[in-house]
Amino acid sequence: MATHFERQLEALHVQIITMGSFCEKAISLSNKAIRGEDCIKAIFETDREIDTKEREIENLCMRILLHQQPVARDLREVSAALKMISDMERIGDQAADIADLSKYIDEKHVEIPPLIGKMAEMTVNMVTESVDAFVKRDLKLCRKVINDDDQVDDAFNQIKEELAELMYQNLDAKAGLDLLMTAKYMERIGDHAVNIAEWVEYAITGEHRNNEHQMGG
Amino acid sequence: MTKKIFKSNILVAVVVLIFGIACVMAILYQHFGKQINTELGKEASYLAYGVEQNGVDYLNQIKEKDDRITYIAEDGTVLYDNQADASSMENNSDRKEIQEALKSGSGRAERDSKTLSQKTIYYALRLSDNTVLRVSSTQFSVWVLLMEMVPPMIGIAVVMLILAGLVSMHMANKIVEPINNVDLEHPEENQIYEEVGPLLSKIYKQNRQIRSQLEAARRNQEEFTIITENMQEGLLVIDSYTMILSGNSSAWKMFQMQKPRIGECVYSLNRGEEFRLMIEQVLRGEHGSVRLHLGGEVIQMIANPVTREQRVEGAVLLLINETEKVEREQLRREFSANVSHELMTPLTAVSGFAEIIRNGMVRQEDVQKFAGRIYDEAQRLIALIEDTIRVSQLDEGETPYDWEELDVCQVVRDVCGRLKEIADKKNVHFYIDGDKTMLYSVRPILDEIIYNLCDNGIKYNKEDGTVSIHLRDLGEQVEIRVKDNGIGIPPEDQKRVFERFYRVDKSHSKEIGGTGLGLSIVKHGVGFLGGTLDLASEIDKGSEITMTFPKERKTV
Repeated sequence: MATHFERQLEALHVQIITMGSFCEKAISLSNKAIRGEDCIKAIFETDREIDTKEREIENLCMRILLHQQPVARDLREVSAALKMISDMERIGDQAADIADLSKYIDEKHVEIPPLIGKMAEMTVNMVTESVDAFVKRDLKLCRKVINDDDQVDDAFNQIKEELAELMYQNLDAKAGLDLLMTAKYMERIGDHAVNIAEWVEYAITGEHRNNEHQMGG
Repeated sequence: MTKKIFKSNILVAVVVLIFGIACVMAILYQHFGKQINTELGKEASYLAYGVEQNGVDYLNQIKEKDDRITYIAEDGTVLYDNQADASSMENNSDRKEIQEALKSGSGRAERDSKTLSQKTIYYALRLSDNTVLRVSSTQFSVWVLLMEMVPPMIGIAVVMLILAGLVSMHMANKIVEPINNVDLEHPEENQIYEEVGPLLSKIYKQNRQIRSQLEAARRNQEEFTIITENMQEGLLVIDSYTMILSGNSSAWKMFQMQKPRIGECVYSLNRGEEFRLMIEQVLRGEHGSVRLHLGGEVIQMIANPVTREQRVEGAVLLLINETEKVEREQLRREFSANVSHELMTPLTAVSGFAEIIRNGMVRQEDVQKFAGRIYDEAQRLIALIEDTIRVSQLDEGETPYDWEELDVCQVVRDVCGRLKEIADKKNVHFYIDGDKTMLYSVRPILDEIIYNLCDNGIKYNKEDGTVSIHLRDLGEQVEIRVKDNGIGIPPEDQKRVFERFYRVDKSHSKEIGGTGLGLSIVKHGVGFLGGTLDLASEIDKGSEITMTFPKERKTV
């Protein structure tokens, strides 16, 4: 028979998985929004759900910390959870930001550079994999997510150049900036996915990487 | 048990020891008392002799003062005492031993001294002149004796206790050893104390009972495993905290898990929204079912809550792979759409022409032409319906025709003869080669298969193309290969060309003609004859269809 404490940890696990799946939903929706599908409302809805979940998980973590005073591995799990949810919450916000931008982009009927679509796919993948890594306690997957970030960064730089070129030719400057912002948000989502992966790694191994990846470097 | 035996042994030793010592002491004490009495008697008679000879002076000569000697006159006045001043002593005539001595010649008495630690034994003897000589000796009381004996006794007791301890330990071990060595697996085979017999037989009975119960439990478990492991459907059992309690291999396969994930959260299998909502719903106690898309498969998940005393304790999830069903549904929808389209087209034409004629809008000389069109369309309809019926017949596995020994080469040549006219129009050439082989088959069906394939080979060919038919005897089987160098089939369509009404050219164009059922009839025909069918094709290079038929009819 599992103890109350074990039950609480399990509940925490389930909640984080749920929050992770909300994040996946939010960014895959925002991905659709850029392509012109009407799902902005759904994104904001999901963002709100993510915020509520964050509060819930925070409360649960605090309860566990205060009542159970976990040590060693359990403590790592709880503290990693606390850090992870703030990254997840940021992902939700950025998905909402992208949804906001997609409104303006849609109005101007500009053609979206294919690289942005590719970048969106890459970031959705990274978030899915980081949540997967947490669910399966998979160190390999953590490292893959951390390494994948370089590709997203490269893609962002490439998009920047491309947009500069396009704007120099004939692209509306406002639209160009909106697209650039979209790409930037995606790049940030990638960074947050890396953060989550790093915290998962910490929860498993007890060692956390230096901040080399955190500032989008 | 060893301890218990040891303890009782020691207790027995101690009790026996104490009792023994007490008895010995009592006997010794009594013995000492008696001895003192005898000695006092002897001493008194010696002294009496001396006193009768020499008077009181004799007493004065005696140096030894261990025993008290008192010489008392007849009236009780003390004449001499070797331990006190005789003159200061009181009259002793009332003493018991004196009175006794005066009366009967000798008397004796014992008196405890004030301290209780000693007692004095008196012995009085009457002399011939009626004076009394009294000798007394003090003896330590039992308590003092005991006190004195305690140290050596303790020593002895300790030694004896150690000895007793060692012996009892050994004995206890000795008694317990066979019990410890009892083989509880086969209790009936042990031969030890008969007192243990009933216990052993009881253990034996219980052993048997436990074994049969275990066996029953194992069988149940095995049965359950066999049932669940051989199920096509996935089965998962979760508790109310979403932890997976049990699952079968089909379930893991459906979720693309390499190994069982028992003991983990059910969301580690999938965390899609539909799945999560269904789990939440079922853990609220509501039955439900949902269609999940897992890795290209369509899985119907049926979730049943497990309740005990009106509380949800968990859930049973049944996963059914419905990919095929969904695909079939899709096919059926397409089929009915196609059928209605295929049937409607000629009917619309027929009805249209007929209407025009009825309304008298056609010149008399054109009526024949229109009637010809109506006839053509009607023929097309009839062909279509015939084909449909044939496919259904083949599908159902029944034909009105008989099985017979056929010369494949002959059948092929017949077909080519009938198609010659059409082939010549397009300038397509037939080549037939191969062995003369006999095949036990159904002529109309085999004819139809080859006809349809050759017909397709001509229709979907270029000018001056070729259609070649190769026959090969493979011993047990016959291989028929129909090859053309026509337009070919795109790879994405190759899988579907055998479907009813499926056409690579979606426009259902009438230019080419045909019902769209040709290859479908081929497929079902080959299936009916127990053969296999293989298609290889490349765009603009041509297609090649290889069929193999067993020479003997397989008895179904």
